[in-house]
Amino acid sequence: MEKIKQNPIVKKIGFNRIILICVLILMYVAFCVGIKGFAAAGTKHLLNTMNYVYFLGFLSLGVTFVIATGGIDFSIGPVMFCCALVGGYCLNSYKMPLVADIIIAIVIGLVFGIFNGYMVAYQKVPAFIISMASMNIAKGAAAVFTKTQSQSWPLSTDPVNGWFRNIISVNGFPVGLVIFAIAAVICGIILYNTKMGRYILCLGSNREAVRLSGVNTKKWEMSAYVMCGLLTGIAAIFFVAAYTTVQPGYGDQYNNEAIAGCVMGGTSMVGGLASILGTVIGVFIISLLQEGILALGLGKDIQLIVTGIIVIVAVYADVTARRRKN
Amino acid sequence: MTKKKSLLNDQRFIALIIAILLMVIYFVFSKEFRKYSSILSMLDFSYYDMLMGFGVTFPLITAGVDLSIGTGMVCYALVGGTLVRNNNIPVAVAMLICILMGVAIGLLNGILIGVMGLAPFIATLSTCMITRGIGSMCNATPWPTLQQPGGWFHSIFKLTFGSGRGAFKFPIGFFLMLVLMCVMEFVLNHTKFGRYTIAIGSNREATALSGINVKFYHVMVYVVCGFFTGLAAIAYAAVTPTVQPGTGAGLEMDAIGGVFVGGVSATGGYGSIIGTFIGVMIICLLKTGLPYIGLQANWQQIITGVVLIVAVLIDIIKKRRAAAV
Amino acid sequence: MGEVILTMKGIDKSFPGVHALDHVDLEVRAGEVHALMGENGAGKSTLMKVLTGIYKKDSGTITYFGKEVEFHNTREAQDAGVVIVHQELNMVGDLTVAQNIFIGREPKKGIRIDDKKMIEDSKKLFERLKIDINPREKMKNLTVGKQQMCEIAKAISHDCKLIIFDEPSAALTEKEIDDLFKIIRDLRAQNMGIIYISHRMDEIKVITDRVTVMRDGGYVGTLITKDSTKEDIINMMVGRVIYEDPKTHSMCPPDAPVVLKVEHLNAGHMVQDVSFELHKGEILGFSGLMGAGRTETARAIFGADPKQSGKISIMGKDGQLHEVTINNPQDAVKAGIGYLSEDRRRFGVVVQKSIIENSTLACLDDFANGPFINKAKEKKETERLIKELATKTPSADQLVMNLSGGNQQKVVIAKWLIRNSDILIFDEPTRGIDVGAKNEIYKLMNKLASEGKSIIMISSEMTEILRMSDRIVVMCEGKKTGEIRIEEATQENIMDKATRNIN
Repeated sequence: MEKIKQNPIVKKIGFNRIILICVLILMYVAFCVGIKGFAAAGTKHLLNTMNYVYFLGFLSLGVTFVIATGGIDFSIGPVMFCCALVGGYCLNSYKMPLVADIIIAIVIGLVFGIFNGYMVAYQKVPAFIISMASMNIAKGAAAVFTKTQSQSWPLSTDPVNGWFRNIISVNGFPVGLVIFAIAAVICGIILYNTKMGRYILCLGSNREAVRLSGVNTKKWEMSAYVMCGLLTGIAAIFFVAAYTTVQPGYGDQYNNEAIAGCVMGGTSMVGGLASILGTVIGVFIISLLQEGILALGLGKDIQLIVTGIIVIVAVYADVTARRRKN
Repeated sequence: MTKKKSLLNDQRFIALIIAILLMVIYFVFSKEFRKYSSILSMLDFSYYDMLMGFGVTFPLITAGVDLSIGTGMVCYALVGGTLVRNNNIPVAVAMLICILMGVAIGLLNGILIGVMGLAPFIATLSTCMITRGIGSMCNATPWPTLQQPGGWFHSIFKLTFGSGRGAFKFPIGFFLMLVLMCVMEFVLNHTKFGRYTIAIGSNREATALSGINVKFYHVMVYVVCGFFTGLAAIAYAAVTPTVQPGTGAGLEMDAIGGVFVGGVSATGGYGSIIGTFIGVMIICLLKTGLPYIGLQANWQQIITGVVLIVAVLIDIIKKRRAAAV
Repeated sequence: MGEVILTMKGIDKSFPGVHALDHVDLEVRAGEVHALMGENGAGKSTLMKVLTGIYKKDSGTITYFGKEVEFHNTREAQDAGVVIVHQELNMVGDLTVAQNIFIGREPKKGIRIDDKKMIEDSKKLFERLKIDINPREKMKNLTVGKQQMCEIAKAISHDCKLIIFDEPSAALTEKEIDDLFKIIRDLRAQNMGIIYISHRMDEIKVITDRVTVMRDGGYVGTLITKDSTKEDIINMMVGRVIYEDPKTHSMCPPDAPVVLKVEHLNAGHMVQDVSFELHKGEILGFSGLMGAGRTETARAIFGADPKQSGKISIMGKDGQLHEVTINNPQDAVKAGIGYLSEDRRRFGVVVQKSIIENSTLACLDDFANGPFINKAKEKKETERLIKELATKTPSADQLVMNLSGGNQQKVVIAKWLIRNSDILIFDEPTRGIDVGAKNEIYKLMNKLASEGKSIIMISSEMTEILRMSDRIVVMCEGKKTGEIRIEEATQENIMDKATRNIN
């Protein structure tokens, strides 16, 4: 076991991550064996999982930055829906061009990110309180703006905007996966190779020491939330590209799943430690899990319970590991 | 140097003024609001928020939170209703089950937070999902209406004299809430449990160093919160014709917002059940009153969010100014 | 003075790397006020922590009222009648005075806490102690002095026979000190044993019967107060042979320009009207006892804590002094100041990160092309500093938490050297560092000074101050009490100024 741990490739990727990849593969095998017709359905389940991965992945990537600073944002689900709803309303009712709607959706995510970040970093409002408030404001604003009507984004059969679904796949080629992979790589580069990432990780670990080194910690803490808002806006686009219709009033469950994917992958809730690769694998696991639960005929209810338990276990494991280190 | 104990320093007093002001505005500007049935309706929908508020005040005083109260309340109501509907359990037993489930989840929260050391928001966010999941396993169920057998439980909150259109309804629930408010304010200020809740929220280490079993009291805080969530489930069932699975997320905002408006400190150490009462009243006035003066119901969510931020900011700014001395 | 109630004999206690108590003796009688004196690090607090059960002694005996005892925690000590009034207050701010005094043992009327009785009993306590405090007042609204009175009242309310006061008068006004002494005299008249830990010579002479002096973890001796002079006591506190040669004359050229001028700095009651100058290439020692306000002064200069008033001027590129505005650490760092915190682990380094990440933290912009960090450049520069400072580590990528204290300190120094800060404030630079590493840090500081960097060195170690400083500023309770050139400095005159209670 020790020999494996010392292997340079293992060290680069991270032992925990390797375990997660094994879990992912084992899960898939278990589903194929244990669920009738899972393997036989061909690529259907894989495609469904991918659809889930895209939007959840962007949510998780975003919240990774926030958790890395030792903060939290569980308004991301409702904010994502707000972006999708407002953008959709502009498309359907104001008849604005699709590109503009996409930009609007992303900008709304940014706005929430800026607001949350400012409140937490500069006004020192506890992050969970701002999350609660933003969650509500996002839900309410979306409902007011769209007059509580669900919004649908274009299908592939749409004569003008049919190209929209191409961001998911073109003739079977998984464009979405490529985009997501690129985004994940960019996030990784930001986190490990830029000033922003360095400051975020260091201040998440010991904010005061970083402040006393002459760093503007407020600015960089806020930037993590802005990043999260931006990625939430992008998540909204992928959500509607995959599922077409959004209804006001929902979105909460994705909060927990995004955080679950993040924490499972090795990002510590206490701050300072984050893994983009871990988040990505965590998102795949959660997405595959929910697809498996669906295939088993079990309802969303089991999925919710399972996710809740996963978060508790993952966070507790993180807490104990930290305690042991100290 | 003792602070001047003027009423103006007490946030609860200001909240009370705001509540009265709101009522006056509604009275003057809305013909609908002046109807007895409107006031009755508003009160009906305030009880479950009020009960959740009473319960969650305790975790908030310890600088913690319980985000599972909304989905928990709906979950217990669903389970109870299902048992009444499908298994012919008497309503009294179903009510008891609601309370017991609340206590059980409260205990789970307490152990996760007080013993295992998880952060309150992540622990209760998870139990929120779990209770939502459990609730989703049930079908939409109505509890018995007033006329049906078992419907007596409605009378805990609203007494109906006569029947049909001419029936006179009396909101006894309001007075029940007032009584509970007095009881819980007493518990907070005059019992060991309440005293140590405040102490833990103010300075956990000093409290532990004084020889008090903080783990035990920290867990109890969440158990009490769970207990009230169970009660809230009953109140919720009383006013919701059919309880829907999958709902509930977001209901905790009204209660938590109300507690903050009532003056609880964002960093813990101070809270008041009377303040919670007034704060939740304000939230309910906003919730049900806004449509009367022409504002869409969805604005209520936005306003609740803004109210929460404002209430917390006021607390933070007050503290900042006091520290700068 | 009555019979002996407490005898501590041959108490020995070691921590990893530190021999905190070396065969210490202490004897306290009933009806006596017994002072326990010594410099910082002498072992006074440690001895009391052993007595009250917070630490377990390695060897030695404690005899209490004729019986040999060993308390395992403060509750046990409390139940036996041994109570300590700490320097750091353990009060719950949002509860009232009465509620704090009786916390954990509230009297009850059925289910209801009998607040009335608590208030009555508190009133009686305060009457007995002759202090004027309203038991209904919320603890956080009281001054620190009054809070301490409450802490004393709380201690006394436990039927106690031996009370330990740890630096009780540090936060009290003159009137409050008078009240405190009245209380202590009362307690003495009631035949209680009192241990009084303090550095204030004048008070010791007024209130105590005997004085036990400790030094470097060892027991020096016990004097009868009225038969001893201040000089006798100081001699016992500092009288040691200094093996390392103290500096005999300043290494800083006499015509060196002023690089930092602080005028009338005020930051709360820990920094009162402090003014001083720092010259180029000088090592300015800041001496004083704990609580003197030296760290607070440094933090105020560095912008880490807010200040009420004060002018800070720094020498610019043109060789002239210019006033600078420092409102936060960013401003200070830009102005060329670097601050090495007292508490290295909490404020100096990010222990979970690598040496490289820590070393470049103060000037990451210099290692970045746009937003991207040039990791090769970082590593190269860090490795250069590791070599220059002789930091013991297998690689530059090593996490700081795996380094020893001395090497962690070198990482902090590297951070400011890479930043090229001209003015360095070292706060307790060798605390918790073994002798070998200490010498390396001393050599380094001398080298930096000779290269033209200007250093403020805050230290509670007399030998360190005398060995390293070109000039010494002494502080006591927020005020600057003296400025001594190294040629004239002695342990005695430094200690004298450090214990002067200027009112």
